[in-house]
Amino acid sequence: MSLNPVERLVSGLARYVAIAGGLALVATVILIVLSVIGRALIPLGLGAITGDYELVEAGVGFAVFAFLPWAHLTRGHAVVSIFTDMAGPRFNAWLMVVCDALMLAVAVFITWRQALGAMDKFAYGETTLLLRMPLWWSYTAGLIGAVTFVLVAAYLLAVSLTDAATGRQPQAGQGAVH
Amino acid sequence: MSNIELGLLSFPVILILIFLRIPIGLAMLAVGIGGSYLITGSFNPVMAQFKHLTQGTFASYSLSVVPLFLLMGQFATLGGMSAALFKAAATWMGHRKGGLAMAAIGACAGFGAICGSSLATAATMGQVALPELRKYGYAGGLATGTLAAGGTLGILIPPSIILVIYAILTEQNISKLFMAALIPGLLAAIGYMITIAIYVRINPESAGQVERAPYSERWKALAGVWPVLVVFIVVIGGIYGGVFTPTEAAAIGAAGTAIISLFNRSLTGKNFIEAILSTASSTAMIFLIVLGAGALNGFLAMSQLPQVSAEWVVAQGFNPWVVLIAILFLYLLLGCVMDSLSMILLTVPIIFPMVTALDFGLPPDEFAIWFGILVLIVVEVGLITPPVGMNLFVINSMAKTTSLGQTYKGVLPFVASDLIRTAILAAFPALTLYLVRLLY
Repeated sequence: MSLNPVERLVSGLARYVAIAGGLALVATVILIVLSVIGRALIPLGLGAITGDYELVEAGVGFAVFAFLPWAHLTRGHAVVSIFTDMAGPRFNAWLMVVCDALMLAVAVFITWRQALGAMDKFAYGETTLLLRMPLWWSYTAGLIGAVTFVLVAAYLLAVSLTDAATGRQPQAGQGAVH
Repeated sequence: MSNIELGLLSFPVILILIFLRIPIGLAMLAVGIGGSYLITGSFNPVMAQFKHLTQGTFASYSLSVVPLFLLMGQFATLGGMSAALFKAAATWMGHRKGGLAMAAIGACAGFGAICGSSLATAATMGQVALPELRKYGYAGGLATGTLAAGGTLGILIPPSIILVIYAILTEQNISKLFMAALIPGLLAAIGYMITIAIYVRINPESAGQVERAPYSERWKALAGVWPVLVVFIVVIGGIYGGVFTPTEAAAIGAAGTAIISLFNRSLTGKNFIEAILSTASSTAMIFLIVLGAGALNGFLAMSQLPQVSAEWVVAQGFNPWVVLIAILFLYLLLGCVMDSLSMILLTVPIIFPMVTALDFGLPPDEFAIWFGILVLIVVEVGLITPPVGMNLFVINSMAKTTSLGQTYKGVLPFVASDLIRTAILAAFPALTLYLVRLLY
């Protein structure tokens, strides 16, 4: 399938952000394994990694945000299509527009509030308990995924609007970008 | 409109949105945010809530177990472990009447011990077992029905992502829930095998004959599954023994399955990226639903619906068992059209306080465990009930020569087996609680 430049840019971005999130998850796995090994070897003078819980939370938090755009782009969210399958293609095309608009609204809302949350944590200088890691760091890391989510949601809304307005068949669940 | 009425009204509204193909997490988010606005008359409470709710949900230590178990399952699907499990099971039981289908169930149970997801189990085992079943003349519907049902063992046998979510929602101990799931999971596997035995007795032409494997080959094949056993013992044993937190166990499991697939040479750069992207999709789907549940529960708490409905059920003086049966039926019904995780997140916050207010003659934490296992089983039945059973679709799409109608027909005996097992486990809570009582 030939991709237009915008499509290539958006799907590439979502893909790389998701992969970055995945690498953070893998790094979290390695961190946990090392920490558990260290804890098992306390008699040998080793120990658990200080603040491992905090690092896990930060790593997984970044990853989950980074996964959102990819799941939306590949239409990976759980839906119930048994009833709408009975309706015509035009109805479904406009339903897709409503759905994408709602997703964009939620993406913008989440991102906006997350940014304000980050500013709060920055203003109060809150840190994690053990590592004294400023909390605004992980809030801001989450924004990378959140902003990408907004871009993807805006792009998909544009696509489904064009599909609905021109009566073009949506590409099979937009799953073609896998 | 009173707050309670708003709370009650939110359920039909969510269902309508969901039936209109709005992603389930999105529908819960929208209704939660809209509902809070209607109750408080302003967006300020939700706006304040969402400054930290998203971060708090996504960067949560207790929920971090979810993506880690998903990653573990993804690596497990790469590692050639499904093939080894099926081969071992097939050499031991394949020569019996219907034995190859039973072997597929056994292999699914084994795979379920290292994978917490139904779909992944069904899809992986389907790839390995479907061609073999067809080769030896097993009927299309029996083959697809067996694998769709076998896939549910992925979730029934610990680790189980749904149980993790249930544990977090109801503030229960994950390791106790995992332990309680073990006997019902094994009963499920045995029940499915009995179902196959009865099925091939009634329809002898539906299963072909496989030659008996010599013992030397059997032991060799069995030795091939040791990596699965090691991962299971370390992960689940570590959780049971309190050596690790569930998050640590999941990380160790992910590392273990990754290492096994490295040694099998099945972990390539391309596979690795695919594993990450599948994990990304499932993780984001689950967390969007969890976030939606957070928003929805904030609203429901404001509406006071959970407390009021719990008090109402008690005041009516209903027979607890009738209420329980009604709830299980509701789940079966919802399961025909909805996925299991969404059902749990949507209903447990309101149903759990209701049922805990009833007296089943069990201490509160034992009741929570027993109820969780029952709910887990009935929502899993939803994965294999026509018309919308995800496992049916996944397996059917892999079996090119079998029609969806044949698959629907083929899975019905397994649904019956599920219902019988649910009745047994509901009637005898001790079956579920035996291990928990023994070890705690």
